[in-house]
Amino acid sequence: MRDNTLKYLLVLPAVLVVFATAIWPLIEAARLSFTVGRLNRPGSLDQYLGWENYTWAFFEEPAFWNSVWVTAVYTVLTVGLTTILALGLALLLAPGGRLRSAAQTLLILPFAMSPALIGVSFRFMFNPEFGLFDAFFGVVIPPLADVSWLADPTLAFAVVVMADVWGWIPFLTLVLIGGLASVPRDTIEAAQVDGASGWRVFRDVTLPQLGPVLAVVIILKAIFSLKTFDQVFMLTNGGPGTATQTLSHYIYFNGMKYGQIGYSASVAWLMVIPMIFLTYAYAKFVFRKA
Amino acid sequence: MAEVHLKNLTKRWGDFIGVDDQSLHIADQEFLVLLGPSGCGKTTTMRMIAGLEDPTGGEIWIGDRMVNDDLPKNRDVAMVFQNYGLYPHMTIFDNIAYPLRVRGVAKAEIGPRVEKAAAQVELTEFLHRKPKALSGGQRQRVALARAIVRTPKVFLMDEPLSNLDAKLRVTMRAELKHLSRALKITTVYVTHDQIEAMTLADRVAVMRHGVIQQLGTPDEIYNDPANLFVAGFIGSPAMNLINGSVQDGMFVTTGGTRLVKVKAADRARAILGVRADDLTVHEAGQGDIDVTIYAFENTGESTLLTVQWGKQRVIARGDRHLRKDQDDVVGIRLNSDHLYLFDPETEQRIDV
Repeated sequence: MRDNTLKYLLVLPAVLVVFATAIWPLIEAARLSFTVGRLNRPGSLDQYLGWENYTWAFFEEPAFWNSVWVTAVYTVLTVGLTTILALGLALLLAPGGRLRSAAQTLLILPFAMSPALIGVSFRFMFNPEFGLFDAFFGVVIPPLADVSWLADPTLAFAVVVMADVWGWIPFLTLVLIGGLASVPRDTIEAAQVDGASGWRVFRDVTLPQLGPVLAVVIILKAIFSLKTFDQVFMLTNGGPGTATQTLSHYIYFNGMKYGQIGYSASVAWLMVIPMIFLTYAYAKFVFRKA
Repeated sequence: MAEVHLKNLTKRWGDFIGVDDQSLHIADQEFLVLLGPSGCGKTTTMRMIAGLEDPTGGEIWIGDRMVNDDLPKNRDVAMVFQNYGLYPHMTIFDNIAYPLRVRGVAKAEIGPRVEKAAAQVELTEFLHRKPKALSGGQRQRVALARAIVRTPKVFLMDEPLSNLDAKLRVTMRAELKHLSRALKITTVYVTHDQIEAMTLADRVAVMRHGVIQQLGTPDEIYNDPANLFVAGFIGSPAMNLINGSVQDGMFVTTGGTRLVKVKAADRARAILGVRADDLTVHEAGQGDIDVTIYAFENTGESTLLTVQWGKQRVIARGDRHLRKDQDDVVGIRLNSDHLYLFDPETEQRIDV
């Protein structure tokens, strides 16, 4: 058998799996997005509707724009906070020291938890009556006692963001520690001898060389933030009202709860667009030639 | 410009001793080379002067200031790193300008000073490029330019030529020497290459196991080695070391050959050191002793004969027109003016 033929045969199984689990659902979702697509109306899955699902989302449905807004703010906040906190932690943990390996093990723990579990545990912690948060901060800072965290739109949003940042910091920290380790020590020491202060060494030498890793981290986190569902579902279920309803949750709600599978397919496809851009950027950074 | 004083400098990592209670005075404008095999503590000593490594004990003085507690940036030293340590994301101009920028030199002054430094190392045409686009030798020049762009109290050079190919190393060595004479700045230079040490240094400190074995001019360490280690480390090919004893004023090899007169008291064990250049090659029967050639090497500018001498092999340097082959027999004569005797126990030189 020719090497060329064998080459393609060997990747074929993987391609088939990707096709069956990713490409085909995407195509089917695209088809559904142009149909009436009601789960409770027989035949409607093949009833062609044109672009109406899309125009509906854009012009007739404030809830759609609400979830776009929620997702956008949520993404900006979680990406920003997680990256900055993780970078700080990475800088603290990067240079040797005995605590390092122990600290790294502890760090990975939140990441090992499933997002749904994080959602549940945060819901318990923020319970106004028996939550850990209330028991601790309620005593230390009395005005925070008995606050219904998850009943207030702004506070609930903050809690969702906090849970996500908490869950993601470890992974980003580990990636950034790796990134910091790959910054040549020579360049940092050269800058120190050249007369740069600690902050200037970081700004002028470390950070620029960390750039590609940082870009990958930010893009990756943005992708995960955009598609956040589990924590929201378990923690607030999109509420109070629609204050924490991310796009994924909105899609789920319309599709599974209301049975409007055609409409939610169209919204899902709207979400694919930024995802494609991010994935493209990610691939560009990861597979860039050194 | 300044003197550098190391007083009882020690560096330990746990049980490992990097530098062991060493004192060293480097004069103003002196070019001092720290020479030794890897792990001898030479780089550690330099890094402590730079402030990149904290001493476990002892004091470091630059000029009239003890700098032990000063950050590297406040020590006013410039360093050239083995791997150059260039900032890959900056242009050559920005690399050279960086020490000036972080020290708040006026913008109008930076341009001319960078140009001048670049001109001194012949880099003018590359200023707009990134380090990636330069060859190894050119990168080394950038590192040099970055060091000379300001006038530091001390230059520190950590094996600056070791990443260059052999030919370039010779060229750069000459350029370094020329530059250092012109700049007249106290320089500490770390290398494991004895040729670099011999050619560049005003004085050489030969180090081993964190201890300075000998401190002296290149002449002194070559012609007057203090101990076995220095004798064996300096010189290429390495000095021949022959085991034997001293009996009735003669050095006798372990094989029993009464080799040469030495001015030393009788002793049961001694090591005779003789450089390849002090062994002259003659036709068989015309030397002090006849030996069989183990290997004959023609280096172009001379010939090297490794000969079997009893149980030992020694190297002699022959005339560049000499042509012999393996298993030929030649006569060897010792130049008795340049012999060294060492005590095998203490490894110290025995005064002849």
